[in-house]
Amino acid sequence: MQHRRLTLADGRYLIFYTFDEDAPAEVKPSDTPAQTNEPKREVDARPVAEEERRV
Amino acid sequence: MSELRWHPLLGEWVATATHRQERTFLPPPDHCPLDPTKPGGFPTEIPAPTYDIVVFENRFPSLKSDPPPPAVAGSELYPVRPAQGECEVIVYTPNHSSSLAAEPVEQVYKLVQVWTDRFVELGARPYIDYVFIFENKGEAIGVTLHHPHGQIYGYPFIPPRIKCELEQSRKHHEHSGCCLLCDISNEERSDGRRIVATNNSFVAYIPFFAPYPYEVHISAARHLQALTDMSTDEQRALAEIIKQVIAAYDRLFDLSFPYMMVLHQRPTDGREYDYYHFHIEFYPPLRTKTKLKYLAGSETGAGMFINDTRAEEKAAELRAHVQPVVWQSGEGRRER
Repeated sequence: MQHRRLTLADGRYLIFYTFDEDAPAEVKPSDTPAQTNEPKREVDARPVAEEERRV
Repeated sequence: MSELRWHPLLGEWVATATHRQERTFLPPPDHCPLDPTKPGGFPTEIPAPTYDIVVFENRFPSLKSDPPPPAVAGSELYPVRPAQGECEVIVYTPNHSSSLAAEPVEQVYKLVQVWTDRFVELGARPYIDYVFIFENKGEAIGVTLHHPHGQIYGYPFIPPRIKCELEQSRKHHEHSGCCLLCDISNEERSDGRRIVATNNSFVAYIPFFAPYPYEVHISAARHLQALTDMSTDEQRALAEIIKQVIAAYDRLFDLSFPYMMVLHQRPTDGREYDYYHFHIEFYPPLRTKTKLKYLAGSETGAGMFINDTRAEEKAAELRAHVQPVVWQSGEGRRER
Protein backbone atom coordinates (compact mmCIF):
# COMPACT_ATOMS: atom_id res chain seq x y z
CA MET A 1 0.00 0.00 0.00
CA GLN A 2 1.28 3.45 -0.92
CA HIS A 3 -0.05 6.85 -0.23
CA ARG A 4 0.46 10.28 -1.67
CA ARG A 5 -0.38 13.27 0.47
CA LEU A 6 -1.46 16.67 -0.87
CA THR A 7 -1.89 19.89 1.02
CA LEU A 8 -4.85 21.77 -0.38
CA ALA A 9 -4.93 25.53 -0.70
CA ASP A 10 -7.01 25.91 2.43
CA GLY A 11 -4.45 23.92 4.43
CA ARG A 12 -6.35 20.67 4.63
CA TYR A 13 -4.57 17.45 3.74
CA LEU A 14 -5.81 14.86 1.25
CA ILE A 15 -4.28 11.40 0.91
CA PHE A 16 -4.54 9.10 -2.08
CA TYR A 17 -4.11 5.45 -1.09
CA THR A 18 -3.04 3.17 -3.90
CA PHE A 19 -2.51 -0.54 -3.96
CA ASP A 20 -0.62 -0.92 -7.19
CA GLU A 21 2.10 0.98 -9.04
CA ASP A 22 -0.24 3.49 -10.67
CA ALA A 23 -0.85 6.53 -8.55
CA PRO A 24 -3.70 8.76 -9.72
CA ALA A 25 -2.80 11.73 -11.85
CA GLU A 26 -3.98 15.21 -10.97
CA VAL A 27 -6.42 16.98 -13.24
CA LYS A 28 -7.00 20.65 -13.75
CA PRO A 29 -10.60 21.60 -13.05
CA SER A 30 -12.39 23.54 -15.74
CA ASP A 31 -12.18 27.32 -15.52
CA THR A 32 -15.94 27.56 -15.55
CA PRO A 33 -17.42 24.90 -13.30
CA ALA A 34 -20.94 23.76 -14.00
CA GLN A 35 -23.61 25.70 -12.19
CA THR A 36 -24.43 24.35 -8.77
CA ASN A 37 -25.98 25.61 -5.62
CA GLU A 38 -23.05 24.19 -3.67
CA PRO A 39 -20.05 26.35 -2.72
CA LYS A 40 -17.38 26.43 -5.39
CA ARG A 41 -14.31 24.44 -4.53
CA GLU A 42 -11.80 25.22 -7.24
CA VAL A 43 -9.39 26.88 -4.81
CA ASP A 44 -9.69 24.08 -2.29
CA ALA A 45 -9.20 21.40 -4.90
CA ARG A 46 -5.84 22.76 -6.03
CA PRO A 47 -2.98 20.87 -4.43
CA VAL A 48 -0.15 23.10 -3.24
CA ALA A 49 2.26 20.53 -1.88
CA GLU A 50 2.64 16.80 -1.83
CA GLU A 51 4.72 14.01 -0.45
CA GLU A 52 4.70 10.30 -1.05
CA ARG A 53 5.50 7.33 1.11
CA ARG A 54 5.01 3.60 1.19
CA VAL A 55 3.25 2.23 4.22
CA MET B 1 -17.30 28.66 15.42
CA SER B 2 -16.75 25.60 17.52
CA GLU B 3 -15.86 24.69 21.06
CA LEU B 4 -16.37 21.93 23.58
CA ARG B 5 -18.91 22.72 26.29
CA TRP B 6 -19.07 20.65 29.46
CA HIS B 7 -22.37 18.92 30.24
CA PRO B 8 -22.34 18.94 34.06
CA LEU B 9 -25.37 16.64 34.38
CA LEU B 10 -23.80 13.83 32.37
CA GLY B 11 -20.14 14.64 32.88
CA GLU B 12 -19.52 14.74 29.13
CA TRP B 13 -18.22 17.15 26.53
CA VAL B 14 -20.59 18.45 23.86
CA ALA B 15 -19.16 19.91 20.64
CA THR B 16 -20.79 22.99 19.23
CA ALA B 17 -19.88 23.45 15.56
CA THR B 18 -22.18 26.05 14.09
CA HIS B 19 -20.40 26.09 10.70
CA ARG B 20 -21.67 22.56 10.10
CA GLN B 21 -25.13 24.02 9.49
CA GLU B 22 -23.78 25.12 6.11
CA ARG B 23 -22.38 21.74 5.06
CA THR B 24 -23.24 20.17 1.73
CA PHE B 25 -26.66 18.55 1.99
CA LEU B 26 -27.77 15.82 -0.41
CA PRO B 27 -26.33 17.36 -3.59
CA PRO B 28 -27.55 16.13 -7.00
CA PRO B 29 -25.66 13.02 -8.16
CA ASP B 30 -23.77 14.94 -10.85
CA HIS B 31 -22.38 17.39 -8.28
CA CYS B 32 -21.19 15.00 -5.62
CA PRO B 33 -18.14 16.46 -3.85
CA LEU B 34 -16.75 12.95 -3.27
CA ASP B 35 -16.69 12.00 -6.97
CA PRO B 36 -13.41 12.18 -8.88
CA THR B 37 -12.76 15.49 -10.66
CA LYS B 38 -13.26 14.67 -14.31
CA PRO B 39 -11.17 16.54 -16.92
CA GLY B 40 -13.05 19.72 -17.69
CA GLY B 41 -15.65 18.91 -15.06
CA PHE B 42 -16.58 20.73 -11.92
CA PRO B 43 -13.95 20.54 -9.16
CA THR B 44 -14.90 18.11 -6.45
CA GLU B 45 -13.08 17.65 -3.16
CA ILE B 46 -10.79 15.13 -4.89
CA PRO B 47 -8.48 16.52 -7.61
CA ALA B 48 -7.99 13.34 -9.62
CA PRO B 49 -9.87 11.67 -12.49
CA THR B 50 -10.06 8.47 -10.48
CA TYR B 51 -8.74 7.01 -7.26
CA ASP B 52 -8.78 3.89 -5.17
CA ILE B 53 -9.35 5.07 -1.59
CA VAL B 54 -9.00 8.70 -0.51
CA VAL B 55 -8.78 10.28 2.92
CA PHE B 56 -9.06 14.00 3.56
CA GLU B 57 -9.76 16.42 6.35
CA ASN B 58 -13.44 17.17 6.63
CA ARG B 59 -14.35 20.54 5.15
CA PHE B 60 -16.87 21.01 7.95
CA PRO B 61 -15.13 19.55 11.00
CA SER B 62 -16.42 19.53 14.54
CA LEU B 63 -12.83 19.01 15.77
CA LYS B 64 -9.66 20.57 14.32
CA SER B 65 -5.95 20.23 14.97
CA ASP B 66 -5.66 24.01 15.37
CA PRO B 67 -9.06 25.06 16.69
CA PRO B 68 -10.01 28.63 17.39
CA PRO B 69 -10.45 29.71 21.01
CA PRO B 70 -13.93 29.04 22.38
CA ALA B 71 -16.43 31.57 21.13
CA VAL B 72 -17.97 31.88 24.57
CA ALA B 73 -16.48 32.34 28.02
CA GLY B 74 -16.78 29.36 30.32
CA SER B 75 -17.36 29.31 34.08
CA GLU B 76 -16.68 26.97 36.95
CA LEU B 77 -20.03 25.29 36.34
CA TYR B 78 -19.77 25.46 32.56
CA PRO B 79 -16.16 24.81 31.49
CA VAL B 80 -15.33 25.25 27.81
CA ARG B 81 -12.27 24.20 25.82
CA PRO B 82 -11.11 24.44 22.22
CA ALA B 83 -12.52 21.72 19.97
CA GLN B 84 -9.17 20.17 19.23
CA GLY B 85 -8.96 16.87 17.37
CA GLU B 86 -9.35 15.62 13.83
CA CYS B 87 -12.24 14.88 11.50
CA GLU B 88 -11.39 12.89 8.39
CA VAL B 89 -13.50 11.55 5.54
CA ILE B 90 -12.62 8.19 3.92
CA VAL B 91 -13.99 7.74 0.42
CA TYR B 92 -14.31 4.03 -0.27
CA THR B 93 -14.57 4.04 -4.05
CA PRO B 94 -14.82 6.46 -6.97
CA ASN B 95 -18.12 4.80 -7.93
CA HIS B 96 -20.81 7.19 -6.71
CA SER B 97 -23.66 4.72 -6.85
CA SER B 98 -21.87 1.86 -5.11
CA SER B 99 -21.80 0.97 -1.43
CA LEU B 100 -19.36 -0.89 0.76
CA ALA B 101 -21.65 -3.92 0.59
CA ALA B 102 -21.60 -3.80 -3.20
CA GLU B 103 -17.83 -3.50 -3.43
CA PRO B 104 -15.70 -6.65 -3.85
CA VAL B 105 -14.08 -8.05 -0.74
CA GLU B 106 -10.74 -6.87 -2.08
CA GLN B 107 -11.92 -3.27 -1.66
CA VAL B 108 -13.07 -3.96 1.89
CA TYR B 109 -9.63 -5.40 2.61
CA LYS B 110 -8.02 -2.24 1.22
CA LEU B 111 -10.26 -0.22 3.50
CA VAL B 112 -9.15 -2.26 6.52
CA GLN B 113 -5.55 -1.42 5.60
CA VAL B 114 -6.36 2.28 5.31
CA TRP B 115 -8.23 2.21 8.64
CA THR B 116 -5.10 0.71 10.19
CA ASP B 117 -2.85 3.38 8.74
CA ARG B 118 -5.15 6.16 9.95
CA PHE B 119 -5.34 4.61 13.43
CA VAL B 120 -1.55 4.67 13.63
CA GLU B 121 -1.10 8.19 12.29
CA LEU B 122 -3.93 9.89 14.17
CA GLY B 123 -3.30 7.93 17.36
CA ALA B 124 0.30 9.16 17.41
CA ARG B 125 -0.80 12.80 17.57
CA PRO B 126 -0.37 14.03 21.14
CA TYR B 127 -3.75 15.75 21.26
CA ILE B 128 -5.70 12.64 20.23
CA ASP B 129 -6.64 10.15 22.93
CA TYR B 130 -9.12 8.14 20.91
CA VAL B 131 -9.40 7.31 17.19
CA PHE B 132 -13.00 6.60 16.29
CA ILE B 133 -13.64 5.03 12.87
CA PHE B 134 -17.24 4.87 11.72
CA GLU B 135 -19.68 4.92 8.83
CA ASN B 136 -23.14 6.43 8.70
CA LYS B 137 -25.04 4.86 5.81
CA GLY B 138 -28.42 5.87 4.45
CA GLU B 139 -30.75 8.82 4.73
CA ALA B 140 -32.48 7.11 7.65
CA ILE B 141 -29.25 7.69 9.57
CA GLY B 142 -29.04 11.28 8.39
CA VAL B 143 -26.26 11.12 5.84
CA THR B 144 -25.79 14.26 3.78
CA LEU B 145 -23.79 12.60 0.99
CA HIS B 146 -24.76 9.29 -0.65
CA HIS B 147 -21.31 8.56 -2.10
CA PRO B 148 -19.85 5.54 -0.23
CA HIS B 149 -17.70 6.92 2.54
CA GLY B 150 -16.90 6.70 6.21
CA GLN B 151 -15.42 9.04 8.76
CA ILE B 152 -12.78 9.15 11.45
CA TYR B 153 -12.88 11.38 14.51
CA GLY B 154 -9.77 11.88 16.58
CA TYR B 155 -11.08 12.84 20.00
CA PRO B 156 -9.00 14.72 22.58
CA PHE B 157 -10.54 12.47 25.24
CA ILE B 158 -11.98 8.97 25.54
CA PRO B 159 -15.64 9.32 24.52
CA PRO B 160 -18.30 8.30 27.06
CA ARG B 161 -19.53 5.08 25.46
CA ILE B 162 -15.97 3.78 25.06
CA LYS B 163 -15.14 4.85 28.59
CA CYS B 164 -18.13 2.84 29.83
CA GLU B 165 -17.03 -0.26 27.87
CA LEU B 166 -13.49 0.12 29.17
CA GLU B 167 -14.71 0.36 32.74
CA GLN B 168 -17.01 -2.65 32.40
CA SER B 169 -14.18 -4.62 30.77
CA ARG B 170 -11.73 -3.63 33.50
CA LYS B 171 -14.14 -4.63 36.27
CA HIS B 172 -14.90 -7.96 34.60
CA HIS B 173 -11.20 -8.67 34.19
CA GLU B 174 -10.49 -7.80 37.82
CA HIS B 175 -13.37 -9.99 38.99
CA SER B 176 -12.88 -13.01 36.75
CA GLY B 177 -9.41 -12.70 35.29
CA CYS B 178 -11.01 -12.97 31.85
CA CYS B 179 -11.71 -10.59 28.99
CA LEU B 180 -15.34 -9.50 28.88
CA LEU B 181 -15.58 -9.54 25.08
CA CYS B 182 -13.88 -12.96 24.92
CA ASP B 183 -16.45 -14.27 27.39
CA ILE B 184 -19.32 -12.73 25.42
CA SER B 185 -18.02 -14.25 22.17
CA ASN B 186 -17.58 -17.64 23.82
CA GLU B 187 -21.11 -17.54 25.22
CA GLU B 188 -22.52 -16.56 21.82
CA ARG B 189 -20.55 -19.34 20.10
CA SER B 190 -21.64 -21.99 22.59
CA ASP B 191 -25.28 -20.91 22.41
CA GLY B 192 -25.20 -20.50 18.64
CA ARG B 193 -28.70 -19.11 18.15
CA ARG B 194 -27.53 -15.53 17.68
CA ILE B 195 -24.54 -16.24 15.42
CA VAL B 196 -24.74 -14.57 12.01
CA ALA B 197 -21.38 -15.55 10.48
CA THR B 198 -18.02 -16.91 11.52
CA ASN B 199 -14.56 -17.53 10.19
CA ASN B 200 -11.32 -18.61 11.82
CA SER B 201 -10.52 -15.14 13.11
CA PHE B 202 -13.87 -13.45 13.77
CA VAL B 203 -17.42 -14.11 14.83
CA ALA B 204 -20.46 -11.98 13.96
CA TYR B 205 -23.54 -12.19 16.14
CA ILE B 206 -26.54 -10.24 17.36
CA PRO B 207 -25.71 -10.15 21.05
CA PHE B 208 -28.09 -11.42 23.71
CA PHE B 209 -28.47 -7.85 24.96
CA ALA B 210 -28.78 -6.07 21.58
CA PRO B 211 -30.74 -2.82 21.80
CA TYR B 212 -31.39 -2.64 18.01
CA PRO B 213 -33.26 -5.46 16.24
CA TYR B 214 -30.49 -6.13 13.71
CA GLU B 215 -27.51 -4.97 15.79
CA VAL B 216 -24.55 -7.13 14.76
CA HIS B 217 -21.26 -7.22 16.61
CA ILE B 218 -18.10 -8.54 14.97
CA SER B 219 -15.58 -9.68 17.53
CA ALA B 220 -12.03 -10.91 17.06
CA ALA B 221 -11.48 -14.54 18.05
CA ARG B 222 -8.01 -13.72 19.31
CA HIS B 223 -7.72 -11.34 22.23
CA LEU B 224 -6.47 -8.13 20.64
CA GLN B 225 -7.12 -4.46 21.16
CA ALA B 226 -6.74 -2.75 17.79
CA LEU B 227 -6.40 -3.15 14.04
CA THR B 228 -2.64 -2.83 14.48
CA ASP B 229 -2.55 -6.07 16.47
CA MET B 230 -3.90 -8.09 13.54
CA SER B 231 -1.93 -10.25 11.16
CA THR B 232 -2.44 -9.87 7.43
CA ASP B 233 -4.61 -12.99 7.43
CA GLU B 234 -6.73 -11.58 10.26
CA GLN B 235 -7.22 -8.32 8.38
CA ARG B 236 -8.34 -10.33 5.33
CA ALA B 237 -10.68 -12.34 7.53
CA LEU B 238 -12.07 -9.11 8.95
CA ALA B 239 -12.77 -7.84 5.44
CA GLU B 240 -14.55 -11.10 4.63
CA ILE B 241 -16.87 -11.05 7.61
CA ILE B 242 -17.68 -7.35 7.19
CA LYS B 243 -18.57 -8.05 3.57
CA GLN B 244 -20.73 -11.02 4.60
CA VAL B 245 -22.65 -9.06 7.22
CA ILE B 246 -23.36 -5.93 5.18
CA ALA B 247 -24.22 -7.94 2.06
CA ALA B 248 -26.65 -9.99 4.18
CA TYR B 249 -28.15 -6.73 5.44
CA ASP B 250 -28.83 -5.66 1.83
CA ARG B 251 -30.36 -9.04 0.96
CA LEU B 252 -32.57 -9.09 4.05
CA PHE B 253 -35.14 -6.60 2.74
CA ASP B 254 -33.78 -6.32 -0.80
CA LEU B 255 -32.71 -2.73 -0.25
CA SER B 256 -29.56 -0.79 0.55
CA PHE B 257 -29.67 -1.32 4.30
CA PRO B 258 -28.98 1.76 6.45
CA TYR B 259 -26.67 1.39 9.40
CA MET B 260 -24.12 2.97 11.65
CA MET B 261 -20.90 0.96 11.74
CA VAL B 262 -18.43 1.78 14.52
CA LEU B 263 -15.03 0.34 15.37
CA HIS B 264 -14.24 0.01 19.06
CA GLN B 265 -10.50 -0.12 19.69
CA ARG B 266 -8.18 0.72 22.53
CA PRO B 267 -7.54 4.39 23.27
CA THR B 268 -4.34 6.01 22.03
CA ASP B 269 -3.56 7.97 25.18
CA GLY B 270 -0.44 5.94 25.96
CA ARG B 271 -1.99 3.86 28.74
CA GLU B 272 -2.34 0.08 28.78
CA TYR B 273 -5.72 -1.44 27.94
CA ASP B 274 -4.84 -5.12 27.78
CA TYR B 275 -8.24 -6.02 29.23
CA TYR B 276 -10.09 -4.44 26.27
CA HIS B 277 -11.03 -6.21 23.05
CA PHE B 278 -11.38 -5.00 19.46
CA HIS B 279 -14.83 -5.28 17.98
CA ILE B 280 -17.17 -3.65 15.47
CA GLU B 281 -20.77 -2.75 16.20
CA PHE B 282 -23.54 -2.12 13.66
CA TYR B 283 -26.64 -0.16 14.65
CA PRO B 284 -29.25 -0.44 11.87
CA PRO B 285 -32.32 1.74 12.42
CA LEU B 286 -34.78 -0.55 10.61
CA ARG B 287 -36.94 -2.95 12.62
CA THR B 288 -38.90 -4.06 9.53
CA LYS B 289 -38.54 -3.31 5.84
CA THR B 290 -40.64 -0.17 6.24
CA LYS B 291 -40.45 0.71 9.93
CA LEU B 292 -37.74 2.54 11.81
CA LYS B 293 -36.67 2.02 15.39
CA TYR B 294 -36.89 5.53 16.81
CA LEU B 295 -34.87 6.62 19.78
CA ALA B 296 -37.78 8.08 21.71
CA GLY B 297 -38.47 9.04 25.32
CA SER B 298 -37.14 5.98 27.13
CA GLU B 299 -34.09 5.56 24.91
CA THR B 300 -33.13 9.24 24.74
CA GLY B 301 -34.42 10.62 28.00
CA ALA B 302 -33.75 7.69 30.30
CA GLY B 303 -31.07 5.77 28.46
CA MET B 304 -33.03 2.52 28.46
CA PHE B 305 -33.52 0.86 25.12
CA ILE B 306 -36.67 -1.07 24.32
CA ASN B 307 -36.10 -3.66 21.60
CA ASP B 308 -39.34 -4.86 20.02
CA THR B 309 -37.74 -8.08 18.79
CA ARG B 310 -35.81 -11.12 19.99
CA ALA B 311 -32.17 -11.33 19.00
CA GLU B 312 -32.46 -15.08 18.38
CA GLU B 313 -35.12 -14.57 15.67
CA LYS B 314 -33.43 -11.60 14.02
CA ALA B 315 -30.08 -13.44 13.89
CA ALA B 316 -31.75 -16.41 12.18
CA GLU B 317 -33.29 -14.09 9.59
CA LEU B 318 -29.97 -12.46 8.89
CA ARG B 319 -27.99 -15.72 8.92
CA ALA B 320 -30.22 -17.07 6.15
CA HIS B 321 -28.92 -14.30 3.89
CA VAL B 322 -25.20 -14.78 4.56
CA GLN B 323 -23.30 -16.04 1.53
CA PRO B 324 -19.69 -17.17 1.07
CA VAL B 325 -17.21 -14.48 0.08
CA VAL B 326 -15.44 -14.85 -3.23
CA TRP B 327 -12.05 -13.22 -3.78
CA GLN B 328 -11.82 -12.26 -7.43
CA SER B 329 -8.05 -11.94 -7.20
CA GLY B 330 -7.61 -15.26 -5.48
CA GLU B 331 -5.32 -13.66 -2.91
CA GLY B 332 -7.62 -14.48 -0.02
CA ARG B 333 -8.09 -18.11 -0.90
CA ARG B 334 -5.34 -19.28 1.40
CA GLU B 335 -6.25 -21.56 4.25
CA ARG B 336 -6.54 -19.81 7.56
